[in-house]
Amino acid sequence: MGATLVILRKDLLIEIRRKDSVISMIFFGILLLFVMNMAIGIGRKVDPELAAGILWISILFSSVLGLGRTFSLEKTNRCIDGLLVSPVAPSSVFVAKNLVNLSFMLISEAVIIPVFFALYGDNITVRLAPLLATVLLLNFGFSSVGTLFSGITAATSRNEVLLPLLLFPVITPLIAFTVKATGEIFAGVPFGEYSSWLRLMAAFGLIFSCAGYLLFDYVMKEN
Amino acid sequence: MKDDLTDRILVVLSSVLMLTAVYMIFFYAPTERVMGIVQKIFYFHLPLAFMAFLSYFVAFVSGVLYLVKKDIKWDIIGSASVEIGVVFTTLVLITGSLWARPIWNTWWTWDPRLTSSLILWLIYVAYIILRMSVEQAERRATFCAVMAIVGFIDVPIVFLSARLWRTIHPVVIKSKSIDMEPAMISVLAISMAAFLLFWITLIRIRSRVDFMELRIRNLEKIKRGGME
Repeated sequence: MGATLVILRKDLLIEIRRKDSVISMIFFGILLLFVMNMAIGIGRKVDPELAAGILWISILFSSVLGLGRTFSLEKTNRCIDGLLVSPVAPSSVFVAKNLVNLSFMLISEAVIIPVFFALYGDNITVRLAPLLATVLLLNFGFSSVGTLFSGITAATSRNEVLLPLLLFPVITPLIAFTVKATGEIFAGVPFGEYSSWLRLMAAFGLIFSCAGYLLFDYVMKEN
Repeated sequence: MKDDLTDRILVVLSSVLMLTAVYMIFFYAPTERVMGIVQKIFYFHLPLAFMAFLSYFVAFVSGVLYLVKKDIKWDIIGSASVEIGVVFTTLVLITGSLWARPIWNTWWTWDPRLTSSLILWLIYVAYIILRMSVEQAERRATFCAVMAIVGFIDVPIVFLSARLWRTIHPVVIKSKSIDMEPAMISVLAISMAAFLLFWITLIRIRSRVDFMELRIRNLEKIKRGGME
């Protein structure tokens, strides 16, 4: 547990000093919101479910940028060797990197979501608590699968290209659950009608965080 | 040499069985009343889907065995079955499309089973791309094993997520009864057996190519060692 916090602290400190991951994520997310506004026709009113899709495409695509960096960071100057020889279990590294990705995503979402409401918010009901729950559950599932895969792709020669190719097919069910839940939140449906989607999202996160926790040992040893 | 003989016997057997299956599909099985001749594609579509699924299961089991035993044999078997699984899934999607066009009046619809098959296809194509991107054999084997395991864990979730939408795909085989003519069932059984044998043959031949490559690599290594 202590080691996990040390790695988390180290990565957050690096990010606070360099600021490159989170800033690129935020910028790319907002850029995607603009691009999609052009794709659907500027200024067109969107219905809640389409709005949910637009929001999540921006967030997911921008989050991949940050994900790819969490491990390539360790590759510079072979820091990963230091991690491997240090008395830290690979699974603690997994938990730490997972938390790092979660916090990067949360920070960028804190900017992207308000911008989204400003651009697309006309037909949308704003309900903060269920939206926050959806965001947290998506982040949990996304970064569990993503952390495992970024460990894999960091050891290949095509890191940035490969990561989204591996990640997106596997998380399609999660994306589907998330868009459904968000669409219903935006439409102002009562909580009981979409809570089952949230439960499925939680199940997805739990399954893949366990799988990642177990499989990460093998991935780390090949780095 | 003994392996070679087994392979040849398998090739002959699966060809004979496949030809028998094709004959029975067109001359023995009754023509479906509503859909007509098009329905015959079903005898290819379902076995292909079944074998594709079997491939992914084999890849999952070999992935686990590789991570536990670190024997490159399991990597070779796993990758052979993923490759064949992808080919079979591609054929499932194509035969399904051909069938859907006259019956549902569309090449593609976002029906749960179609969506699930497409997602599975994407996951395992990603596996093959990952395989092409890693040079070093052990690293590649580990990463592919992890991908095969994660992909297979995803299979039930993909099916569940797709199920939660409405379906227009016929559920032919239910848990209790099979909704088909007896003659159709026996043709389907023979077609299944033919595809199973064909699948085993393909897996054996495909993995033999990799085993040979491994042997050549090792011989080269020995030769280079001797020269230095």
